Amino acid sequence: MKMLKYIIVGLLLALPVQAHEMVPTYPRLEISHMDGLLKTTMKMFNKRADVEYYEVGVFDKNFEPVPFVTAYNVFKLEYLGHVTFDIYIRARDKERAVYVCSKSKLRKGSNTNTPISSKICSKFEDKR
Amino acid sequence: MVAVAVASTTAISFANAEQVPITGTVQSRCIIQTDTAGTYGNPNAYTLTTAAQDGGDAAVVRYDVSLADAYYAEITPPTAFSSAPNLPDQVTWAGSVSVKTVSDATGMGTYEADKLEVGDTDRYDLTATGSTWFAIESTATMGGNKAFAGGTYTAVAEAVCIAK
Repeated sequence: MKMLKYIIVGLLLALPVQAHEMVPTYPRLEISHMDGLLKTTMKMFNKRADVEYYEVGVFDKNFEPVPFVTAYNVFKLEYLGHVTFDIYIRARDKERAVYVCSKSKLRKGSNTNTPISSKICSKFEDKR
Repeated sequence: MVAVAVASTTAISFANAEQVPITGTVQSRCIIQTDTAGTYGNPNAYTLTTAAQDGGDAAVVRYDVSLADAYYAEITPPTAFSSAPNLPDQVTWAGSVSVKTVSDATGMGTYEADKLEVGDTDRYDLTATGSTWFAIESTATMGGNKAFAGGTYTAVAEAVCIAK
């Protein structure tokens, strides 16, 4: 019975999947080359064939938005594409900023009845 | 003369050989995998449901975590249509999330019992490393037993992974 369970899990793991991935889990804010701004670098991987665009945001502990700057808040990431992007926040917002999140943007004309919106939130290391 | 020429060509080829590094980084991560997008069945004129006995399919989402006790999974079934034909009345939504399969029955066996329900959202504490599959059920009922108009209905479920 236990063997059967392992076989089922193995088969499920082998099925084609669509994944959204962002690292690091605990990014570190560092001094940037601009006065009064802190920087962190994130990496994303898109293994969702049904998603081409992702939105990035910085949030406080209650998921209220915190001002930030990045190259594109919403960016295109092709299927199986990787992207590395920098996020800048004001040094005075350092205590407020807790999460960096990326969220999939689904097209309105999706072919499925219940598409799944995925969102991954990393936490700044000093807030662990 | 020819032999010298061949020898020098070979020497040049060897001199141009390069080593190509392949690098990788191992770090903790949470990956959300959309395993199955759901489908609504239409058992009667005023109901759309993912229930298998009514011709629907539950959406299934898989979370892979590589660091124990570092993430929460928050999953919210749909609460509105993102696209639909004209709706003749208010729609009532019902939904549920449950653990479907786990890769580690010992470490993940209590996920369902320990989940926290906050409004429409279910929060799971991912205390073990490995994979967890969650089934998302959804039912939309048209008010006043009025019929859904013909057309395609889409409603989005949300799967979130939050670092602790």
